Amino acid sequence: MRIDLLQGTLDMLILKALTGGALHGYAVASWLQRTTDDALRVEEGSLYPALHRMTRRGWVKSDWGVSENNRRARFYTLTAAGRRQLEEEFSAWERLTEAVAKVLHARPAAQRA
Amino acid sequence: MAWMVDRYRALRSLLRREHLEDDVAEELEFHLAMRTEEYVARGMTPEAAREEALRRFGSVDAYRRQTHMIDEGLAREQRRMELWDMVRRETRQALRSLARSPAFAVMAVLTLALGLGATTALYSVVDAVVLRPLPYAAPEQLVWLDSPVPGVGPEARWGLSEAGYFHFAREAHGLSALGVFSFESGSLATDEGAARVDTAWVSASMMDVLRARPALGRLLPTDGDLPGAPRIAVLGYDFWVRQYGADPRVLGMKVRLDGVPTEVVGVMAPGLHLPDDTVDLWAPLMLDPSRPPENSHWLQAVGRLRDGVTVAQAQAELTALTARLPALFPGAYSEDFMRERGFSTAVTPLARHVVGDVDRVLWFLLGSVALVLLIACANVANLFLVRAEARRRELAVRSALGAARGDLAWHALTESLLLCLLAGGLGLSLAWGALRLMLALAPPGLPRLEEVGLGVPGVAFAAVLSVAAGLVFGLFPLTQAGRGLAALRESGRGLTSSRRRNLVRGGIVVGQVGLAVVLLAAAGLMLRSYWTLYNVDPGFQPGQALTFDLVLPETRYPSSDEVNRFHRELLARLEALPGVSSVGAASRLPLRNFSGCAVLFTEGGAQPSAEPPCLPVMRTAPGYFESLGIPLRQGRELTWEDLDRKADGVVVTNALAERLWPGEAALGKGIRGNGHGPPYYRVIGVTGELRAHGLDKPPSEAVFFPLAQAEGLPLWGPARSLSVVVRTATTRPESLAPAVRDIMKELDPSVPLANVETLERVVAKSPSVARASFTLFLLGIAGGMALLLSVVGLYGVISFIVGQRRGELGIRMALGARAAQVAGLVVFQALRFAALGIVLGLAGTLAMSQVLGALLFEVSPTDPVVLAAVCALLVALAVLASYGPARRAARVDPAEVLRSE
Repeated sequence: MRIDLLQGTLDMLILKALTGGALHGYAVASWLQRTTDDALRVEEGSLYPALHRMTRRGWVKSDWGVSENNRRARFYTLTAAGRRQLEEEFSAWERLTEAVAKVLHARPAAQRA
Repeated sequence: MAWMVDRYRALRSLLRREHLEDDVAEELEFHLAMRTEEYVARGMTPEAAREEALRRFGSVDAYRRQTHMIDEGLAREQRRMELWDMVRRETRQALRSLARSPAFAVMAVLTLALGLGATTALYSVVDAVVLRPLPYAAPEQLVWLDSPVPGVGPEARWGLSEAGYFHFAREAHGLSALGVFSFESGSLATDEGAARVDTAWVSASMMDVLRARPALGRLLPTDGDLPGAPRIAVLGYDFWVRQYGADPRVLGMKVRLDGVPTEVVGVMAPGLHLPDDTVDLWAPLMLDPSRPPENSHWLQAVGRLRDGVTVAQAQAELTALTARLPALFPGAYSEDFMRERGFSTAVTPLARHVVGDVDRVLWFLLGSVALVLLIACANVANLFLVRAEARRRELAVRSALGAARGDLAWHALTESLLLCLLAGGLGLSLAWGALRLMLALAPPGLPRLEEVGLGVPGVAFAAVLSVAAGLVFGLFPLTQAGRGLAALRESGRGLTSSRRRNLVRGGIVVGQVGLAVVLLAAAGLMLRSYWTLYNVDPGFQPGQALTFDLVLPETRYPSSDEVNRFHRELLARLEALPGVSSVGAASRLPLRNFSGCAVLFTEGGAQPSAEPPCLPVMRTAPGYFESLGIPLRQGRELTWEDLDRKADGVVVTNALAERLWPGEAALGKGIRGNGHGPPYYRVIGVTGELRAHGLDKPPSEAVFFPLAQAEGLPLWGPARSLSVVVRTATTRPESLAPAVRDIMKELDPSVPLANVETLERVVAKSPSVARASFTLFLLGIAGGMALLLSVVGLYGVISFIVGQRRGELGIRMALGARAAQVAGLVVFQALRFAALGIVLGLAGTLAMSQVLGALLFEVSPTDPVVLAAVCALLVALAVLASYGPARRAARVDPAEVLRSE
């Protein structure tokens, strides 16, 4: 099953992916796909713009390095600002899911005739 | 401006990051390669794998576009931040630099603030009165309908008759709606007490014409206009707020309007009034279309043009419809009447009718204060010049050290912008205060006064002027201080360029003096005009008298006898008050509401008397002439005994007597006010010349009928509305007010008093006097400011020049010139500037004489006395302004000067 991502969620997931250390774009995509058992497949066409935007905002920084198979690749690392951003987004996300869950599990109000 | 563009470009390239195109391509390639490998590992052919990887990635172009947009957006944000930083930095720097020369900053800000404040205040008035559209929906479609009364002057207008109204409303297809109204003062009695109200009695169609909306409840219904409909009223919004604290429970409230039980059905939308009057209460006029037509033009009329119909078209149609009146209503409109009177119906755009000719005065005043602003600007320009002079070396050093010319300009510009914005802010608060003062002083005849305030247009006006001034002053010294290195080399002694600067400075001062002459001449002429007006004998004595108005409601006092009894009792009680020397009353007061129109017929004369056909007629109680101080040239006035006998005496003004019976004795002549044949009222008295219409108008023609009707002679029903005059010789007239109120309360607490004020106040508030004093007041302020500013300017320039000529003066002294001679040189220089300015100013005054003349009363716009006085004043002030510098020049020590050379 495929799930469409909520607006802005992609940023959070990418930041999370980078908490383990520097990754290149392909690795980020693969990690997200693997971790969610293929449930979330990141649109690659939006992954790179997101990385670009976050670089510009100073949440991640990028450096050219050499990949596992000896190719030149751009690696992204989380900055301190990115880490703070992730924390904020994470707690906001938890509040949101909690609230949505409450609603979805509640008994609906009786309709007035 | 090129340096600004440069600066912008530099900023941009600084902010724009290195291009990433190549990096993007490489990163993308890596990604696609990895994907392809993944698919190949799963068993695809390399070509298919590559294709699939590309497909999965989606649009590469879209990706590029997106990253590009992200970059642009962020860069814009960054640029904004940088710009803001720069503004803050520059502002701080400018503030520091201004703080280093506080005298300059304070002088410049104050001078400009004065000019800006005055201009903004007057602009706000012009905007509210002249420029802003009338407060009705689609106001350009509204027209005023009336008929000029030939031979009486432009102010005499007849309204519409009932017959005319019904005829036009039915037949005029160029009008989508036509409404009529009659505006009257009345009394409104509720459980809480009585209030005086200004009532608009309107035809139901008036609601359509004005496109009125209720704020609460409903408006007057279209069928509520007919006689016999239940009596209802709609409250004016302001009246509702003032009288009932905006209580919504007024709906359905029962009141007594002029004694008649009336139900309040709604509240009018805020700000909606009749074109010339503020309305407390709207009530249906209840005209009866089946009434026999009369040639009685008592209705004011406003029409709304149909879409696409022009005023000229409507005028043509109404002219044609007016021509049909005699055929339709032969009893009311005879062919003779139409021909002799040249009777016509005029269609005027409502805005023109409302504003009238006041716009001329206002534009003139705005022009005057704009001159003050110009003078203020000239002064500030001078201050900037002096400052630029003082900073020339600093600037030269800085530019020699490599500061870009653009940078220096940029600093100068922020500094002057800051200064002008400060001045603008201060000017706005000055304007606010000035407006309040002006509103308190404004003449009662000034239309749309209630709309005047410091609104968005005024603020915008001040903002635009401040920024413009800031730009001019910022860039102005650049033209002077541009050649930085030259200034260094010349080390402050170069004659050529300093002479050029002195020329500019001298030009500014000459211009200032010129403008001051124009303003002072205008103020002086107005002062003379006002003085002449003030000294016109009005024909009565305004001092030592108190007046008030009252209206007796028809329901409580239905007959003439009851009305007269009340009046007689009131006047007797007033006369018995201690300190009261005489008491009188009449339906109207001179210089207040001495209007009205009745056609007069004289015994044996042409019927009706040829011209003017329409004259004010008063109803007077005995004692009227004495209490007003109107002398009787011949005969006497009626007494209460005469009234008891139902005597038939009338008093006429001298001007009327001389026109109707030239070379004959007026006493005993017959005159009457309506056309039902003899008998006549007999003239028993002739007054002196009375200027009751305005001090600037010719002596009034009027007939004073008795308060009560004479035996067998028709009058116009009971005199319900009356202005009472109480004269005292021993005390201040206003101190009588409480006693007057007590008496009225004893007689009938339900009859409200209105306009309790001294007769002097009535004169001061009369349009001719009030308008003259208002104009004079504003021109006086403008002239005073101009004078002050030009003296300051003159002083500044002369002392600067003395400072510069120290060397030369020292040499002259060393060569044997006496102190007095040196001082004389300085004074002479000041006089030269003043003389040039005076010549310029006189030329300006002559150029404006056309405009000025229209505002003056019996004073020529080139009045030599005023012009000579203004010139003398400026010469004297030029000498005074150069006195200080001349003394300093005379004290120059030649030895010291020569040493320092």
